Amino acid sequence: LKAKGQQLKGTQQLRKRKIRTTPRFKRPETYRPPRAPKYARRSLPRRNALDAFKIMQYPLTTESSMKKIEEQNTLVFIVDKRASKPLIKDAVKKLYDIQASKVNTLIRPDGLKKAYVKLSAEHDALDVANKIGII
Amino acid sequence: HVAMVNKRESAKKLRAKTKSELEKQLTDLKQELSTLRVAKVTGGAASKLAQIRLVRKSIARVHTVTHQQQKEHLRRFHKNAKQLPKDLRAKKTRALRRALTPREAGATSAKQQRKARAFPMRRFAVKA
Repeated sequence: LKAKGQQLKGTQQLRKRKIRTTPRFKRPETYRPPRAPKYARRSLPRRNALDAFKIMQYPLTTESSMKKIEEQNTLVFIVDKRASKPLIKDAVKKLYDIQASKVNTLIRPDGLKKAYVKLSAEHDALDVANKIGII
Repeated sequence: HVAMVNKRESAKKLRAKTKSELEKQLTDLKQELSTLRVAKVTGGAASKLAQIRLVRKSIARVHTVTHQQQKEHLRRFHKNAKQLPKDLRAKKTRALRRALTPREAGATSAKQQRKARAFPMRRFAVKA
């Protein structure tokens, strides 16, 4: 009888019920191949909209910012609102060739972002300001 | 019709340039714009302030030409592809893109074809 049963079912072995030791059931991991698209969805990657030139909008030339230049070796810029401190640091390095020791930012009540860029000791803010044209 | 101080290059001249030349032109223009913006803040001459608009539009022109060139190259590159990238496909409208193709719309069953052949639309005329 068993032989006939096996004949009907074919040569597949009967499997024992798996013993489950926990009430949890976790979906077994399946094979997930890496993406291999047949066509690119976008023909061109998006160009970086927030480049150094877009980030640094203009320097501030107010009395308090002049004070900062002279006394605390910092330059004050209006930057793009979406710029983060590391981005501002890189932008300043790219545009003006200066190393910023730290950057403080705030968003002004009129919606613009102000960045206080403290220069490292090797740079003089006054010289850099002269070079940029702030005077 | 006032002639501006620095006349910008026309798009025609930009199209003759190579990609790297255009990139360089772009950074130069952006540099110029940043100095003009500084001049605006430190009370620059009126001529400088008027330049700002020119430079902004020149930057836009370079971007446009660059983008058009790139797109053209990509279309040539994908010319024989079975499936194009989505931005190279016809835009039309969402509904039109999902509509039946003319071939699909005009498809008739064999039965319909037989009927049409057997019973065409007759045309009659009254003899004068």
